[in-house]
Amino acid sequence: MTLDARWGADGGPQSDKTETVASRILVVEDDERVRASVRLALEDEGYEVIETATAEEALAAFERRALPHLVLIDLMLPGMDGFECCRAIRRVSTVPIIIVTARTDTHDVVAGLEAGADDYVTKPFVAKELGARIRALLRRARAVPGQPTQAINVGDLELEPEAGVVRRGGQEIHLTRTEFLLLCELASNPGRVLSREQLLERVWGYDYFGDNRLVDVHIRRLRTKVEPDPTNPNHVLTVRGLGYKLQAG
Amino acid sequence: MSSVPGSPPARRRRRLGLRSRVTAAFTVLALGLSVIMALATYTVTRSSVVHSEEAAARRQTFSNAYFLRGALRNNHNQQLPELLSTLGTSGTASSVLSYRGQWYASSLAVGRDALPDTFVDEVLRGHAAQQIFTFSGHPELAVGVPIAGLDAYYFEVFDLGSLDHTLSILALVLAAAAAATTVLGALAGRWASRRALMPLRETARVATDITEGRLETRLEAGGDVDLAPLATSFNSMVDALQARIQRDARFASDVAHELRTPLTTLSTTLGVLEARRHELSPRGQQALELLGAEIRQFERLVQDLLEISRYDAGVIEQSLEPLQFSELVAHAMAVEADDQVPLVVEPAAASVQVLGDKRRLERVVANLIGNARDHGGGAVEVRVQRHDARVRLLVDDAGPGIPAEDRTRVFERFSRGPLARRRLGTEGVGLGLSLVAEHVALHRGQVWVEERPGGGARFVVELPVSREGGPPVEEGDATGWDRKGRDEVTASR
Repeated sequence: MTLDARWGADGGPQSDKTETVASRILVVEDDERVRASVRLALEDEGYEVIETATAEEALAAFERRALPHLVLIDLMLPGMDGFECCRAIRRVSTVPIIIVTARTDTHDVVAGLEAGADDYVTKPFVAKELGARIRALLRRARAVPGQPTQAINVGDLELEPEAGVVRRGGQEIHLTRTEFLLLCELASNPGRVLSREQLLERVWGYDYFGDNRLVDVHIRRLRTKVEPDPTNPNHVLTVRGLGYKLQAG
Repeated sequence: MSSVPGSPPARRRRRLGLRSRVTAAFTVLALGLSVIMALATYTVTRSSVVHSEEAAARRQTFSNAYFLRGALRNNHNQQLPELLSTLGTSGTASSVLSYRGQWYASSLAVGRDALPDTFVDEVLRGHAAQQIFTFSGHPELAVGVPIAGLDAYYFEVFDLGSLDHTLSILALVLAAAAAATTVLGALAGRWASRRALMPLRETARVATDITEGRLETRLEAGGDVDLAPLATSFNSMVDALQARIQRDARFASDVAHELRTPLTTLSTTLGVLEARRHELSPRGQQALELLGAEIRQFERLVQDLLEISRYDAGVIEQSLEPLQFSELVAHAMAVEADDQVPLVVEPAAASVQVLGDKRRLERVVANLIGNARDHGGGAVEVRVQRHDARVRLLVDDAGPGIPAEDRTRVFERFSRGPLARRRLGTEGVGLGLSLVAEHVALHRGQVWVEERPGGGARFVVELPVSREGGPPVEEGDATGWDRKGRDEVTASR
């Protein structure tokens, strides 16, 4: 897939008034009325909305190359559930995913994030809050990551921020957008501890809305990809009570 | 619940525990047995030793008397004291002789005066006799024999001091043995009761685990044959309990889903309508306003209800994180308060952090402000202040205040009494405040209501401070958090 190429290319309706192409949002929700209301709200904000009632349809939308810029997935779906849908999308794309859950259980949220979602909202959500999260994720997807444009080397890790490529020992690693930005953020401050709040602000673009769990789960996912032994990390280190830091290992 | 003030815990009368009682019983038993054994041993030993001593004394006295009889018959002129001193007496014995009314003694210390009168009279009447008596602080044994055919009476006095000494050493040893036995008995009792109560302690530990949410914990059934029924029935009780909790949790979760889905449509559509408010006629706008207020109220009620049902089902999972309290209050107010309620953060409380669940603490603030708005004529001031190791949130309202007798009842569910009287708006039953109480208790805090200086009610939430500003507190790393989260969830399912 060549979605990575879009990162710098697409514009959203909010930040760039001259942009004419509206961001496309794929809404995967089995409840017809919720879907319709979300469509109304998002269209009012200027997005183009594609609706699907099942995960299978959503994946078909990816095959048709009507590629969305962001996906909103309800976790409780008939047939293939939201978690599986997330994983299936992640196999082919790094598109930002927001999961929607009707439960406030920690379990669902974490499982959804583990499945590859970038963020979550709980029902009943306030349209304004959902809008803010969507804008933050889209803005981030457009922005050129980090300040340093030259390659960064940390230990056996090699980052090319502009190309969106990470290699470990010469081998390319496939990271999601969020994981990549997390790594870039940590890598541009080598050896410095970044708090969860700082990471939420810089990677997700949230000031208060963010949930520290977002950081924790994504750090864990990042470790499974960049660490030889994720249970005993030597690159992405937890500094107890403070946050995270990257070291050469 | 710690949120209801003014109810000191009833003092329980302390009774001796089972272990202490078993130990005490063992101790008393050991003490009794060892004392009886010691007394018996002492008595038997003492009488047998004394008897043999007396027999020896009698034999010696009789043989000396026999020797004296011969000596006195053959030689009347012999110096009697010298004669007495030649008698074969054991080291500690002294001889006393009455011959023709005269008294003679082998030792200066022991003479006629040493002997008890009744005893002497008995011998002088012609009977052999013996008596134990005390002379100048020493136990003595005297044996007296009339010498046949002569007007002579021979006495021998034995010092029993060494015997007495031996016996007192024996008594001491026996007492020490009794004491040691008692201590051993106490230890044995302690050990036995500990051993016997071990399964109970194990049961208690498991019960505590289960109470704390680790519902998977079970007693080991394969152990002592006598205790197997206890373990089995305990485990099946926990099985039933777990099934029930899971059913409740599933029900709450299903209900939550069923309620939240339409609410999502409602609130999202409301948002769309409100964004297009200007397209509506004035009457349409009025209707929208009513609709909006009611939907928000309904949404709040459903959220509270679901939250309360989670407490009831025992499925509480917390994600604790360090939160700057004043910031949290400000944020919750910005979301909740449509009118402008002044927030005063006292300087000492500005950077104070609490370890809390963000969502629940925001709910606390929102519900208190909502309560003030719905029942107290609106909040007039929200204040954050520091009290030693605690931080306080004060929400003052402009209502008539709450009578002292209703001040704990307002935190009960649907407590209509006091609230009904205070009702100013059209909305609200008292779920909000009871949820405040539950949330605050979950954070090991307290909530109460008091009179605001100048009238009105003042709701006070007090939470423990986790740390003074600066870097956030220990909260575990990502994996640690998740493990905890998962445990809680597995426990609740």
